[in-house]
Amino acid sequence: MKAPFNFLRVGAEDHRIENLKGLSLFKRLTSRELRELDELLHERSYQKDEVIFDEGDTGLGLYIVVTGRVKIVSSHAALQRAAPECGPGDFFGELAMFEESQRTARVVAAEPTQVLALFRTEFVSLLERDRGIGVKILFELTRTVIGRSRKLLASQPHLPTV
Amino acid sequence: MTWCVIILITCLSLYLFEWVIWLVVPGLLALVGYYCLQPLVQALVRAGLKHRTAGKVVTGLLFLVTILGVVLLFYVAATRAASWQAVTAHYVQGGLDFLEKTKGALEEKLPLLKKSALMGSTPTNLDTASEQFVDKYLAKLLLQMLHWLPALLLVPYLTYFILQDGNRLKKQVIRSVPNAFFEKTMLLIDRVDRSLQSYLIGLMKLTFLDTACLGLGLWLLGISHPLLLGLMAAVLAWLPYIGSVTGGVLVTIVAATDYPKEPATIYGCVLLFVCVRLLDDFVFLPMTVGRSLRFHPVLSVLMLFLGAAVAGPAGLLRVLPVLGVVAVIIETLGQILRNDRLWARFRHGRQLRQTMAEVG
Repeated sequence: MKAPFNFLRVGAEDHRIENLKGLSLFKRLTSRELRELDELLHERSYQKDEVIFDEGDTGLGLYIVVTGRVKIVSSHAALQRAAPECGPGDFFGELAMFEESQRTARVVAAEPTQVLALFRTEFVSLLERDRGIGVKILFELTRTVIGRSRKLLASQPHLPTV
Repeated sequence: MTWCVIILITCLSLYLFEWVIWLVVPGLLALVGYYCLQPLVQALVRAGLKHRTAGKVVTGLLFLVTILGVVLLFYVAATRAASWQAVTAHYVQGGLDFLEKTKGALEEKLPLLKKSALMGSTPTNLDTASEQFVDKYLAKLLLQMLHWLPALLLVPYLTYFILQDGNRLKKQVIRSVPNAFFEKTMLLIDRVDRSLQSYLIGLMKLTFLDTACLGLGLWLLGISHPLLLGLMAAVLAWLPYIGSVTGGVLVTIVAATDYPKEPATIYGCVLLFVCVRLLDDFVFLPMTVGRSLRFHPVLSVLMLFLGAAVAGPAGLLRVLPVLGVVAVIIETLGQILRNDRLWARFRHGRQLRQTMAEVG
C-alpha cells in the first residue's frame, strides 16, 4: 500500500534527475537546470490502446516517452509516415509548445507507457525567468521539428527537399 | 445561464467562507506571501540549492524579518505612544471641525438639510466622539483583534507549507485526475493560478505605485506624514470604489486640519486624488493587475453589493477574487462536461484499466 503524503518524501529527487539526464530533449541541461525543470514535469501512465490525445484537441503541451511505445495516427497520410511511432526518449506534441493550435494527430499507447508532460504555459514561465534552460530545450525541439519537416518534405514527390 | 451559476456559487462561497474566515484570511495572506517569495526560491534553485532547501532558507528569512519587524514596532510604539496619541487626537478633532464646518456650509446653501437626521448626528468635539467610540466600538474592536491574533500566526506557517510542498501537492492532485481530463485539469489549475497570481501581485504593485504617487503629491502640497497617508489611502483602495473615496476623505480631513484657512491646499488634495485615480485606471491598473479578474463594471458593482450583503465589509474585499476563480472553474468544468470525446476517452481508459486488473 502506498504511504499517505508520499509526495513529501525527497529521496527520489536525485534518481529522477539522473533519469532526466538520459532524455535527448534535456541532454544539454546541467543537474541544477534539470532540478528546476523537474518541478514542471508531470508523470502519466497509460494502458495499451489508451488515447493520450486526439486529433483536433487543443494542444497544450508536449509529451516525452519514458518507457513503452506510442502510435501516431493521423488523417494526414504524410504526417503519419514522418513519425509513425515513438519509443523511450522520443517526444511528441511539440508544436503545442509554440502555439495553441489543434493537434494534427491522435496518439495512442501501443503498450503500457509512461510519459512526462511539459505544458506550454509552465515552459513559457520558465523561459521568462531562466532563458538559458529555455534556449537549450528550444534548440533540441527545433532540431527535431526540422528533422521531421525534412522527412515530411522528402515523402512528398512534388515538393523540393530543403 | 453559466453566469447565473457563477454568481450563485460566488455568493455561496462567500457565505461559507464566513464560517471559516479564521482560515480564509490567513490563507489569502499566505498566498500573497507565496507569490511574492516564489521568485526568491526560484533564484536560489538557479543558484544551485535544492528546492526544499531554498524554501527553508527563504521562509527562515521571512520569520527573521517578521520577528525583527514586530520587535521594532513594539519598540517604536513604546517610545512614541504619547506623541502618537496627541497627533491622533489633533487630527480627529480637526476632522470633526471640518465636518462641522462642511455641515454649516451645506445647511446655509441647502436649508432643507437642516431638518435631516444625518445633520444632527455629528459629534462636535473630541470628548463626545471618544465617548461614542469607546461605548460603541472599542471593546468590540479589542475582542476582534484578540480573536484574529492566533489566526494571523498561521500566515507564516501556511506560507512555509505552500513554498515548500505546494508544487508537490499540486502534482499529486494532478496525478489523481484520470488521463482523459489531465490536460483540461492542467489548463484549469494554470488559469486559476495565473488569475490569483496576477491579481494578488498586481494589487501589491498597485499599492506601491499609489503610495509613491500619493506620498510625493502630498509632500509637494506640504501635508504632514505624506508617506503614511499615501500608504493608508493605497491600502484602503483595495476595497473597490468605496476605498478610494474613503482614502480621499481621510487625506482631505488631514489637509483641513493642517491648513484650516487655506482652501487651495484642500482642493489640491482632492485634485491629487482625482489625478491618481485617473492614473490608476488608465496607466497603473493595465500595467499591474492587467485584465486579470476584471469584469464588466455593472457586474463588478452588482457583485460588490451582493458581496457586502452576504459577508459584510469583508465580502467587499473578497468578492472579486472569488468571482474570478469561480468563473474560471465553472467555465472550464462546463467545457469538460460538454465534451463528449473526453467522456468517451475516460470510459475507454477506465474499461482498459478494469480489463488489465482482471487479467493481472
